[in-house]
Amino acid sequence: MTRLGELERSVMNVLWDSSAPMTVRDVLDSLDEDRGLAYTTVMTVLDRLGTKEMVQRERDGRAFRYSPAISRDEATSELLNDALEQAGGDRTAALVHFARTVDPSEAEALRAALDEILARTDP
Amino acid sequence: MTPVWLGLIGLALALPVPALLARATWPHLAPAAGIVLWQSLALAAVLAISGSATATALWLVTHDELTWWRVALHFTLLAIGVLVWARFWWAAWQVLSETATRRARNRRLVDLLGEPHGALPAVRILAEQTPVAYCIPRLGDSRVVISSGTVDSLDDDSLQAVLEHERAHVHLRHDLVLEAFGVLHRAFPHPLRTDAPLRQSQILVELMADDAARRTTGDKALARAIFTLAGADAPPGTLGAGGDPLLRLERLRSPATPLARGASAAASLVLSAVVIVGPTLTLAVPWIHHALTVL
Repeated sequence: MTRLGELERSVMNVLWDSSAPMTVRDVLDSLDEDRGLAYTTVMTVLDRLGTKEMVQRERDGRAFRYSPAISRDEATSELLNDALEQAGGDRTAALVHFARTVDPSEAEALRAALDEILARTDP
Repeated sequence: MTPVWLGLIGLALALPVPALLARATWPHLAPAAGIVLWQSLALAAVLAISGSATATALWLVTHDELTWWRVALHFTLLAIGVLVWARFWWAAWQVLSETATRRARNRRLVDLLGEPHGALPAVRILAEQTPVAYCIPRLGDSRVVISSGTVDSLDDDSLQAVLEHERAHVHLRHDLVLEAFGVLHRAFPHPLRTDAPLRQSQILVELMADDAARRTTGDKALARAIFTLAGADAPPGTLGAGGDPLLRLERLRSPATPLARGASAAASLVLSAVVIVGPTLTLAVPWIHHALTVL
C-alpha cells in the first residue's frame, strides 16, 4: 500500500472513531505523534477523501469540520451486499465466493463429499 | 436457401444448443477449453443470425424484378440490423461502465476499511465474521478481499488455497471473460436470450481457479476451504459462502484421469472449430462468392 493510501486509511479511522466532526488540527492531533505529519499533508488527505466522496465537510467559523460520509458499518455492509448480490446475479465487478443459504440436505452432501476427500490416502 | 440455413443454424446455436450443453458435465473436466466452446457458440450464433439477415436483404433486391414490397422489406431488414448492432454496443457500454463504477467504489471502500496483510500486498482483511473471499480485479493492481471470519475459520493450507484461487482469477483475467458474457447476455434480444452461457462461464472460471489452487496446495486443503466458505457449518437460514460448492467438491471427490481431461478439452475445441468453421465454409463463403458476382 502506498504511503498516501495508508494515510487515508488512518485519517478515515480517526474520523470513524470520533463522535463529532473534526477540524484538520483535531485529526492531526489524533494521528500518531511520531509520524511528524505536516498540517498541509493532513489537509490534502482530507481533501482527497472528499473527492472520493468518503468524507463531507461543513464550515465552522473560519475552519472546516470533517466527518465521514458513510459510517464504518454502512461501508462494510455496502461491500458485503454488493458481493452478495453479485454472487447471485450478474457477477462482473468482483469474483465472489460466498453468500447463499445452505439447506440441510445440501450441507449433508457437502459434508459427505468432504469426508471422502479427506479420508483418501494421497499417493 | 443460404439465408434459411444460416437462420436455422443461428437459432439452434442461440437456444437449444446452449440448453443441451449446460446440462452436460464433461466440459467441467477441462474448464479452459469449455470457456472457449461457450465463446465460440456465442460468436457463431451472432455470425449466423447476422449472415442470415444480410443474405435475405440481398436476395430481396437481386432476384426477379424489383417490386416496392421487396425494396421495403430490404430496408426494414437493414434497419433491424442497425438497431441490433446499436443495441449491442449500448449494452456493452452499459455493462462496462456499470462494472467499472461499482468496482472503483468497492475498491475505495476496501482500501479504507481493510487491514493490509503484511506479506501479501494485494490482500485486504475485512473485520467481518461472515466467511467471504473475493477479488476486485484491476490490471496490475488488484485486490483480494477476505473477511477475518474466513481467516479465523481456515487453517494455513486452506487459506493458502483460497488465496491461490483468487489470484488465479486475477492472473487469468476471468473478469474479462465474465464481462464479455455479461455484455452478450444483456445485448441478446429477449426471445433469443438464455442464462446458460453467462451461468456456465461463471462455473467454468471457478473450476479453472480451483485447478490452479489444487496445483499449489493439493485437493484436501482446497476441499476444506470450499466446505468452510460454503457455510455448511453455519446454522440454517444464515448466510454462508457459496459459488457452487457441491459441484466443486464432487469434482475433487472423483478426480478425472488425464485421459478424460484430454478428451474433454479435445471435444470442446473440435466443437468450437465445427460451429465457427462449418457454417463459414459451407454457407458463408459460397454466398459471398455469389454476392460478389451478383453485385
